[in-house]
Amino acid sequence: MNEGLPLVRCEGAARTYGEGATATVALQATDCEVFAGQRIALVGPSGSGKSTLLHLMAGLDDPTVGTVSWPAIGTRDELRPGRVAVVFQGPSLLPPLTVLENVSLPLVIGGMTDADGREVARSALRTLGLEELADKLPEEISGGQAQRVAVARALAGEPSLILADEPTGQLDRTSGAAVVDVLLAASEHAGSALVISTHDQTVAARLPERWGMHSGEIQTDTRETAWSH
Amino acid sequence: MVALNWLRGLLAHRPTRVIATALGVAVGVALIASIGTFLSSTNAKMTQRAIARVAVDWQVEAQPGASPATLLATVGSYPGVRQALPVQFTSSPSLTATTRGSTQTTGAARVLGLPPGYSSAFPGELRLLTGSLGGVMVAQQTASNLHVAPGDTVTVGLPGGKSAHVTVGGVVDLPYSDSLFQKVGAPPGAQLSAPPDNVILLPQSEFARIEAPVIAKRPELISTQIHTTLSHALASSPSAAFDDVAARAHNLESRLTGGGLVGDNLGAALDTARKDALYAQILFLFLGVPGAILAGLVTALIASAGADRRRRDAALLRTRGASTRTLVRIAMAETLFAGILGVAVGLGAALLIGKSSFGTASFGAGAVSAILWAVGAALVGLVIAAISIALPALRDARSLTVAGQRKQIGRTERGPLWARYGLDFIALAIAGFVYWQASQGGYQLVLAPEGVAQVSVNWYALLAPVLGWIGLGLLGYRIADWVLTRGRKPLTGALRPLAGELAPTVSATMSRQRRLLARAVALVALTAAFAGSTSVFNSTYQAQAEVDARLSNGADVTVTESPGISVGAQQGITQLKKIPGVGSVEPLQHRFAYIGADLQDLYGVRPQTITDQGKLQNGWFAGGTAADLMKILARQPDAILVSQETVKDYQLHPGDRINLRLQNGATKQLTTVPFRYEGIAKEFPTAPKDSFFVANQAYVAARTGSDAVGSFLVQTDGTSPGAVSKRISGVLGASALVSDIQNQRHVIGSNLTAVELSGLTQIELAFALVLAAAATGLALGLGFQERRRTFAIASALGAKRRQLGGFVWGESIFVTGGGLILGAAIATLLSKTLVDVLTGVFDPPPDFLTIPWLYLAGVAVAVLATVLAAGLITLRALRRPAIEELRDL
Repeated sequence: MNEGLPLVRCEGAARTYGEGATATVALQATDCEVFAGQRIALVGPSGSGKSTLLHLMAGLDDPTVGTVSWPAIGTRDELRPGRVAVVFQGPSLLPPLTVLENVSLPLVIGGMTDADGREVARSALRTLGLEELADKLPEEISGGQAQRVAVARALAGEPSLILADEPTGQLDRTSGAAVVDVLLAASEHAGSALVISTHDQTVAARLPERWGMHSGEIQTDTRETAWSH
Repeated sequence: MVALNWLRGLLAHRPTRVIATALGVAVGVALIASIGTFLSSTNAKMTQRAIARVAVDWQVEAQPGASPATLLATVGSYPGVRQALPVQFTSSPSLTATTRGSTQTTGAARVLGLPPGYSSAFPGELRLLTGSLGGVMVAQQTASNLHVAPGDTVTVGLPGGKSAHVTVGGVVDLPYSDSLFQKVGAPPGAQLSAPPDNVILLPQSEFARIEAPVIAKRPELISTQIHTTLSHALASSPSAAFDDVAARAHNLESRLTGGGLVGDNLGAALDTARKDALYAQILFLFLGVPGAILAGLVTALIASAGADRRRRDAALLRTRGASTRTLVRIAMAETLFAGILGVAVGLGAALLIGKSSFGTASFGAGAVSAILWAVGAALVGLVIAAISIALPALRDARSLTVAGQRKQIGRTERGPLWARYGLDFIALAIAGFVYWQASQGGYQLVLAPEGVAQVSVNWYALLAPVLGWIGLGLLGYRIADWVLTRGRKPLTGALRPLAGELAPTVSATMSRQRRLLARAVALVALTAAFAGSTSVFNSTYQAQAEVDARLSNGADVTVTESPGISVGAQQGITQLKKIPGVGSVEPLQHRFAYIGADLQDLYGVRPQTITDQGKLQNGWFAGGTAADLMKILARQPDAILVSQETVKDYQLHPGDRINLRLQNGATKQLTTVPFRYEGIAKEFPTAPKDSFFVANQAYVAARTGSDAVGSFLVQTDGTSPGAVSKRISGVLGASALVSDIQNQRHVIGSNLTAVELSGLTQIELAFALVLAAAATGLALGLGFQERRRTFAIASALGAKRRQLGGFVWGESIFVTGGGLILGAAIATLLSKTLVDVLTGVFDPPPDFLTIPWLYLAGVAVAVLATVLAAGLITLRALRRPAIEELRDL
């Protein structure tokens, strides 16, 4: 069993988009917790609610019903930058900034000086073997490289919780595998909890815990491993 | 069919983009069509005014040996002649009158014989000052010289030493004496002869009686003119009307076969009007075309905001099998729809504007012209729509790739093609050269050589402002681009108070989007410059029209003593100051002085007060400012200011002594008064244009034994000059002639007076305000819209509202501040150039530019308001959860 407070806790958290006849339930009432050191794959087909749950955990979206809290971290305002990092599904680098500036941005937003932010960002890029890309613009690197830079940006602040939304969804198998390698290595190194949403069983298989999702619900049988920790 | 379905869907689901483009097109079309309406209205009014300013349309002079009776019959029956009356002219060696115990004798005088009904047939020619029309009349100056009033007797000298006596029935002013006493048939370009100093007008019967000996013995000393009024059913364009009248005058001369020459006063007035009409068209070019171009640029900006979406739509259609041809058809359908809608709305708006501002709902002076203007404006609208929608779509349709969509941002190491070739510097260099070259010749934009029927525009001289405008716009882009590239460090420093530690990131973002931002800065600068230069030109023009009217009238209200009335300065001031609405009263002494054999007007002033109370302008004097020269008159009472012409004619040098002969108040005899020439007066309130003197009033009064003044310059206390003028007339009755500046504005020389131009500039200023505000707000707002994803990601990374504000306000301040500063600089240069280039509109040229601070402050407030709105809307949109924003994009 996990010790201490959970990093994130969902209590009856549900999310519905739209209203009335056109309302779509993306996530049914869900209860779950993620503790420090856990590495979880949210697995399910498209539209199963993986991204919605991840966004609620990241505090990027509000549940329509129920609550999401971060007992070990604090309030939602304290999540970012630094404590909870998100890797988005699509291109998420800011086009007018170089790779180095993209990685240092959340650090400077968090209060670091520009010079310190660049130093830490360069170190994060070095750790992931991306240093040679530092001065390139996002349009000058490949999709796989961009996603690895996004990972570097997420890790640079040494977050307690990394939430990656289909990080390999738009990449070929080799690039995807490289990204997962980076995520696993980094979370291991920093001791961060890691939640990856994916519909790719190969990716899911590389994480010790798997939560299956279907029709906006976490399937009980596949979640048992998580609760058993 | 696919295109129609697509258009239907577009209108049902995304109408904003089409409607916004159509509105941009409408602004351009409305602006051009409104200018067509302006020209239509102006041309017609210019013709009407030219006609109204002519007292006698033709003066047909009988040539030696021709029978006046036959001439009268031929002219009277000529098609289009409504009235024809014979007038006889002869000269008298002198006129003499003895009044109140003293005898005055003038030099040579002109004697006219007027037929019965002349004053009612040509009401503008004679203006009754006192007495009655119809009997013997003397001109105002002659009455003053002879000290005669109605009832007094004048002796008319005849050749051979004889004379005849007549009794004065009235004193008249001859407002058109220049044309009345013209030398008919003088070759084009001949020097105008000055009208005579002394004139007496006799009824035809009286003329026949006293001139009988001359008619019998020396008939060659009598000449006859047939004065005619023509039918005024002329073309509304001054140029067409001039061609018509001039051709008819030549035709009449050919019919007369040498028996008579036509003095074509109507043709001369229309000739001036057609030059002014051409100026009006140039004004359109200067004030209108930049506005239309800017409307096009703003429309292109609106359309470009939807370009990404349009490209994605096209890519989607292509994956569904649409051919390039289909994509082109779809783009053309959207272009046509937005274009036609914009043209319809624009023309409708122009009709409403024309009706409300100019009282006409036609786009041109005639039917053909109206159609041409409407079609021209519509074509411009369709071109704007095509450039905004069809052209980018066609370009994309040919090379549609995913990579092609990743534009706007990047290192863009190389500048645009024009920048690499220095097109901005080349344009400015040529503009400077043409300006310098044209300035050498006094910047003649409208060429109208004497004796040549056609007037034309000096298109070469126009290159200066046109290339200047283009060059300065491009230079604005280059400067903004340079600051964003080379000035990163100072820019970061400037952004630090706003963005804190994010300042380097914000400046990096701005630098990598420099094409977008430099384009926005250049657009804001050009629209601000358009608003600035148009308003400065307009204000300077209005101020100068005011000066012109003030110069002609003398003051808000000018009170001139009637002949025979003489009031002392203090008495007049006291009496006039009691009248409600009168602010200040400045007595202006008016005498006649002989310099050699020439008689000139002399104005005696109070040097301590005239500068302020007469509102003297520095441009009216040479050799010092108005205040400087008045100080000299105060310090040195015998100092005198002389007209340029007199200085030239008499070879005067500063400090030279001039002896003038003025009438002594007591003896009524001419007495010599010494003066010292100390400066030049080019213009002076109420003074004639050619030659006059300005001297110290007290000195003149002391040396002539009379403190009588000719007129009083009255400035109101803010009450309407027209109202004060009526009150003064009510109090003084026939003892004074009262004129006010409001009335004067409608009478003065140029056809391009305030009435028409104010209509045009009101429209221009309204368009400029809308364009400046729209361009700035749209340039920023649409730029932010394009970068919503960037802001949403930054927000998802934890950027607070204040930090996002650093990005938004940093760009806003750069674009607005940069645009307004560059715009102000461009506006200053353009305004000076406009005033120089259109110098023909100004008479006299202005001392300085008049800055309409209130309007400019209004433009600045409107611009800042739209910037604030664009920024706040962007930041408000970012309040949504970042993930929702990212999902929608």
